[in-house]
Amino acid sequence: MSSRRRIRLRLALRNLSRQKRRSALSGSAMLLAMALLVFSRAIADGGHEEWIDAGVRMGDGHVSVQAPEYRTRRSLEYRLSPDVRAAVQDALRAPAISNRVVASAPRLTVQGLASSSQAALPVAVMGVDPELERSFSRLDEKLEEGRWLKPDDRLQAYVGARLASRLKLKEGSRFVLTAQDASGEITGQMVRVAGTFRSGIPEMDEGLLQIPLATAQEWLGVPGSVTSEAILLRDSRDTRPALRDLRSALAGWSDDAAVLGWRESMPELNAALRMDDWADYVFHLVLFVIAATAIVNTILMSVMYRTREFGVLRALGLERGEVGRVVFIEGMILTAISGVVGMALGAAVVWGFFRNGLDFSALWDMELEAAGVVIDPVIIPAFHWNQILLSLISILAIGSLSSVYPAWRATRIDVAEAMKFEE
Amino acid sequence: MSAGANGSDVSTGRVRALGTPAVRTQGLWKVYEHDGIRVEAVRDVSLTIEQGEFVVLAGPSGSGKTTLLNVVGGLTRPSDGKVWIDGTDITALSERELARLRLEKLGFVFQAYNLLPVLTALENAEFTLLLRDVPPEERRERVEKLFERIGMTGLEDRRPGKLSGGQQQRVAVARAVVAEPSLVLADEPTANLDTATSTSLIDLMAELNREFGTTFVFATHDTRLMERARRVIRLVDGAIVDDTRRA
Ligand SMILES: Nc1ncnc2c1ncn2[C@@H]1O[C@H](COP(=O)(O)OP(=O)(O)O)[C@@H](O)[C@H]1O
Ligand SMILES: [Mg+2]
Repeated sequence: MSSRRRIRLRLALRNLSRQKRRSALSGSAMLLAMALLVFSRAIADGGHEEWIDAGVRMGDGHVSVQAPEYRTRRSLEYRLSPDVRAAVQDALRAPAISNRVVASAPRLTVQGLASSSQAALPVAVMGVDPELERSFSRLDEKLEEGRWLKPDDRLQAYVGARLASRLKLKEGSRFVLTAQDASGEITGQMVRVAGTFRSGIPEMDEGLLQIPLATAQEWLGVPGSVTSEAILLRDSRDTRPALRDLRSALAGWSDDAAVLGWRESMPELNAALRMDDWADYVFHLVLFVIAATAIVNTILMSVMYRTREFGVLRALGLERGEVGRVVFIEGMILTAISGVVGMALGAAVVWGFFRNGLDFSALWDMELEAAGVVIDPVIIPAFHWNQILLSLISILAIGSLSSVYPAWRATRIDVAEAMKFEE
Repeated sequence: MSAGANGSDVSTGRVRALGTPAVRTQGLWKVYEHDGIRVEAVRDVSLTIEQGEFVVLAGPSGSGKTTLLNVVGGLTRPSDGKVWIDGTDITALSERELARLRLEKLGFVFQAYNLLPVLTALENAEFTLLLRDVPPEERRERVEKLFERIGMTGLEDRRPGKLSGGQQQRVAVARAVVAEPSLVLADEPTANLDTATSTSLIDLMAELNREFGTTFVFATHDTRLMERARRVIRLVDGAIVDDTRRA
């Protein structure tokens, strides 16, 4: 460090500590802003992770493999053949992918009609592997009556509670499913209610039922085939690399298999999260503007009040720009220290008090459903590195934005004017 | 009388050339215009101050002493005319070059509040040495010697706020001379001091002038200081009306 730079740094530091009260006061605005930022980010990131997790478990996973046309056509014609499924399983076993994967579940979904003696209603019929599905969607935990499917079940169905009540079905009741099979023929299948579930999501409770995968395949004439392989990842932030790896592993099957991320397969959830993020950013911007105003104010006041000092510095041989830099460094140091302390404080509060989750159930007295997902009122905060990095960058941005104007003012001081002695 | 150009050549060399005046001005004007009101603060001043002089610019309040001093020190640009410091035409210098010249050739003492409040007495005194990258040992040695000389030993670590007005002015003088500039410009340095304190400050500056040959130019209406000067230049309404040397 050159000695002139050292002098400027010394002057800046000494000035900050000379005006301890003022520095502390304006620093505290920054400190609070950053603490709030870290706190709200940790809650938002934790909440979003839970929201995504709940969404992808009920839906198609973080990543799903389907026939390319299935997404738009939803027809059995577009399904994954046993060969493609084997290739998918192979790809999932590759180390780079498997260490990100928590579970995968095969599903054969068709649109059909459920008919009881009382009524006939449109439904989504999902053929599932009971064991794999249970650890995936955890729909067994939403049981209302009866039981979840067992591996050796054949003609049992797990039915949305609203659907069951509309069809006047009880545990053990028989009803008929009809749908188009692989060859386009309408075909029926009689099943029996094993249990009913209430997920809290109206679309599911009114229109979904699950039957064993083997039963569905046999009924619809597609042995060994599924319409999608849903894959659950350790963390939603693994989606991008998992997509990339799976796509390259399945590059040879691109005519038969498309790999979709949750943002594509659940656009509603994606949009809801983006909205929530934007709301957060607006909130952060308000925090930043408040903090920056406090800092600009303090530094500017201190510049006005030190006109004579800057005059002395100039008379002694400092250049205009150097005087400006002293002020700029002051602002940056004030912002950086209070900002980082604020971040630490926010993190400490989150970690110290809410590490095991922040219970919002008092605020939301009913079940909260949004974008097809039921949100758990207990949010486990999460610290994401990119958010921490973003916070640090914001500190630098606030610091330089709020210091540049006072610094410029300091360079504009007229030495002769500043040195005038007022009685 | 030595007002006016003395004909010596302009030396641009950095080394103080023998015979080069410490200050020379030629047809210097400073005119302020605010809202149509025109103030001629300095009017056609041409003067030469030799190395080692101890000069007072005297005159009533508003006669242009401060303005002239500021123009000579490169703190204010003249409206017309030229200023040479140690042979360098400072009216031709850029802002940056002027800052450098102030650092290398000039020392300033103002009426009051000369010191940087956040630095200790010692740090204030050595400030220009720091700016000039003088190594620490040499810095300490020079400043300690000066502190002894100005009777400030033991007060090195005090902040200006904890020093009396006289002590502050002594430190300001020490800071002005520590880097051995060719010229010290002092604007009313004794105006805020009581008689005893001003007398001892004047003694100090006179001794430094004798010992180191540092040129001192004062703007003052303090008669004690005028009595000690070997040359008194009188200003009235921005113009020189009298320039008297004594033995
Ligand atoms: N920045 C300025 N703008 C306008 N007039 C000024 C300015 N500075 C000084 N003056 C005027 O110039 C004249 C000389 O002022 P100054 O040099 O301060 O005198 P002195 O130091 O002898 O009291 C005064 O009339 C003063 O009002
Ligand atoms: Mg004056």
